[in-house]
Amino acid sequence: MPIDRRAYVYLAAGFLAVIIAPGVIQTVAELRRGETPGALELFLRPPTARNLHAYEHGLEASSLVIQRLRPRMQYAEWRFLDDAGEKAVVGREGWLFYRPSVRYEVERPAIGPESDSSDPLPAIRSFRDQLQARGIRLLVVPVPNKESIYPELLTRRAQGLGVVVNEQTQHLLDELDRNGIEHVDLFQVFRRVKQDQGRTGTGRLYLARDTHWSPAGVHAAAASIARQVLAGGVLSRGDHAYSERSVVAQRAGDLVEMLRSASIKGSLLPESVVCSRVVQSDSGAPYEDRPDSEILILGDSFLRIYEHDVPGAAGLIAHLARELGRPLASIVNDGGGSTLVRQDLARRPALLSNKKLVIWEFAEREIRFGTEGWRIVRLARSASEFN
Amino acid sequence: MAWLSMVFTTYLFVFYFLPLVLASYHAVDHLSRRVGASSSGTCLALNALLVVASYLFYGWWNPWFILLMLGVTVVNYVCGRIIGQPGISRRLSFWVATFAVVVSLGTLGFFKYFMFLEINLNQALAWLGAGPVHVLEITLPIGISFYTFHALSYTLDVHHGTAPPVRSFLDFACYIALFPQLVAGPIIRYNTVADQLVSRTHTLEKFSSGVTLFILGFAKKILLANAMGRVADAAFGAQSLSAPDAWFGALAYTLQIYFDFSGYSDMAVGLGRMIGFEFLKNFDSPYKAENITDFWRRWHISLSTFLRDYLYIPLGGNRGGAVRTYFNLIVVMLLGGLWHGANWTFVAWGAYHGVLLAWERFQGKRSAYQRSPRPVRVAATFVLVVISWVLFRAATLHEAVTYLGAMLGQGGSGSGMLLIPALLYTRGTLVFMAVALLIVAWPTQAHDWSREITWPKAVVVHPLFCLSLMVMFSQSFNPFLYFQF
Repeated sequence: MPIDRRAYVYLAAGFLAVIIAPGVIQTVAELRRGETPGALELFLRPPTARNLHAYEHGLEASSLVIQRLRPRMQYAEWRFLDDAGEKAVVGREGWLFYRPSVRYEVERPAIGPESDSSDPLPAIRSFRDQLQARGIRLLVVPVPNKESIYPELLTRRAQGLGVVVNEQTQHLLDELDRNGIEHVDLFQVFRRVKQDQGRTGTGRLYLARDTHWSPAGVHAAAASIARQVLAGGVLSRGDHAYSERSVVAQRAGDLVEMLRSASIKGSLLPESVVCSRVVQSDSGAPYEDRPDSEILILGDSFLRIYEHDVPGAAGLIAHLARELGRPLASIVNDGGGSTLVRQDLARRPALLSNKKLVIWEFAEREIRFGTEGWRIVRLARSASEFN
Repeated sequence: MAWLSMVFTTYLFVFYFLPLVLASYHAVDHLSRRVGASSSGTCLALNALLVVASYLFYGWWNPWFILLMLGVTVVNYVCGRIIGQPGISRRLSFWVATFAVVVSLGTLGFFKYFMFLEINLNQALAWLGAGPVHVLEITLPIGISFYTFHALSYTLDVHHGTAPPVRSFLDFACYIALFPQLVAGPIIRYNTVADQLVSRTHTLEKFSSGVTLFILGFAKKILLANAMGRVADAAFGAQSLSAPDAWFGALAYTLQIYFDFSGYSDMAVGLGRMIGFEFLKNFDSPYKAENITDFWRRWHISLSTFLRDYLYIPLGGNRGGAVRTYFNLIVVMLLGGLWHGANWTFVAWGAYHGVLLAWERFQGKRSAYQRSPRPVRVAATFVLVVISWVLFRAATLHEAVTYLGAMLGQGGSGSGMLLIPALLYTRGTLVFMAVALLIVAWPTQAHDWSREITWPKAVVVHPLFCLSLMVMFSQSFNPFLYFQF
């Protein structure tokens, strides 16, 4: 092939154009908006490591070129390579899985404690003991990862595996037993439901493109938690009459939202989810919490879905209240099932004043990846002590 | 813990730092020539500009470490000047060179190995039933292994008379800090660039071939190394693995480290060409090596030749008989392993290679292995190299042994083993691994391919750059393996 000098010119000029254009476009756009070009902020702050890092991050975050091109690239990767990015893993039959949950299932736990607050047991035991000192019973509810219940939809190799219980999870459940900490084994519950229903595609316990459970999962969990609460004998069934009304909610799925690509979201039809909204039998008004209830439920987004999201009053809290025949008090902290939700409770000591039972829900993956780990949270003895 | 500096595959570097440096550099070059400055005067001005740019590049995340690099630079510069004095005695030259070596290696040793020694000392004390000593937490300055070797190379070359002493501090500071090769090599020997520091040419052909090589390295890193890295991380972090999965993960790491490091080297050499430098090739199709000796002629050539010239030969090389040669080979590879990091895994990796090199030397050229067909030799060498990367990649020796056990079918059991295909065998992974293997087997290498630019090459390279940039925008997983060394 003959060497043509014009090829060298084309190559050099094209390269320079590509590396210069984004900065020029950005600067022109910022000047047109009457702003000081972001690139000049370098000279407005002392050159400390923190400021330089923030400057670099700021340039990237505000880049018009990145904002334009990133979603297109993400869509191309999704479309042609089945790559759902850093947050999600593409499974089978159109199912998506949350990458941290998948990592929880397959990764080796760190040898020895990763940090002082990496072991859930001391935090759970301390919480149980503090509640017990006030005469309050604790019921722990780890919610299985979606991958634990539907491994065959994550990968073909798991076909026929049924329900899996990760070693670390099993270890925690065994430790809860050993320490006399009451808990609900939703793995057993969901295994039974899954076996009963078969894998027909209907009545699955989790949503296809969401990290959370389906209304069927909510129902199964609420029924089994209620059974265990009532079997404990501390509380009997209340006399509040609730009934259910069928409502259809449209959910794009939080995993789809996490991809942050309008193109991907637009290419997927939202899931139509048939929910049962819990209403007061007499007035027809949707279920509402009662802070003075004898039962407090704490948890993460597994409590939030369908309850505070659309359609409302159709999540675990409402369905548990229906099963127990009494309204509940609740504290929900998205992603904070391990520590944050207990810290929320510690800031509201009055909420515990008349409680007989605390139900504490957290997602299985939090056993390892809990936000802020598993800190021991001291509860004030009373509202006055807190103040 | 290591501090990062600016990284080539970031928005800041590609779209702000690089255009500004290239524009300033070629503007100074142009102006200097217009005012009739001499070639060496122009070069001095350009070197001054490169020093400023390189210090900014290096100190981007922790400006204080610039002082450390400056200290090593000053010590070696002063020592080089003393050694280079006409009429200096051989004895004084030796002691001054020794002083420079001790200061440079002492700096490297303190920052890189002191904590390692403390931790191992504590383990030994615990074994003896004694209490631990307080472990001093030391932050590893990025690139210290490379710039101390650059400095050593200068002092030793001047001491041995294989290179002249540098004419100015700016030239020397430029050689030590030159941003393309500062933090992850290749290790540029002083005597290979001494002339270029004084006078170098800038041509369109050189610039464009530099652009081409930079883009090829950029694509290797972003498209291939990162994709393979995700697979390797999943495999090496897995609780349990079947033998095929373990081999797949090891293969992914084998490809990741090659494309990561050779990609970085290509970018470094490409950037060097853009500013008039010509650096030597650092990789020569290492996975086509016919034996381990051949592998070390092809892998990280700048390190292997450095170790050969500054360690193996001074130790006596192969001049002291067979046993002494084996001993020298193993010692050099052990130290070469340790150079990569303060961890017993690197020592084991070095020992593994040292033993294999000694074994090959012992076997000679008439062994059954050497007489087998070339594809068999290449395949067998490749398998040995894949195994060695397990030692290199694992966080601890225990982890390495566990992983090697998994490769032999002793990977444990558990549900994780059944779920891990979701992370290993995605469509993207398989596509990128196929492309990576194809490139490994391809007869032409990026370094040579980029020398002459034809229209078809020019047409291919730009879309590749744009694609790589777009993938970079969508990735948050973007580590550089050799930064930690």
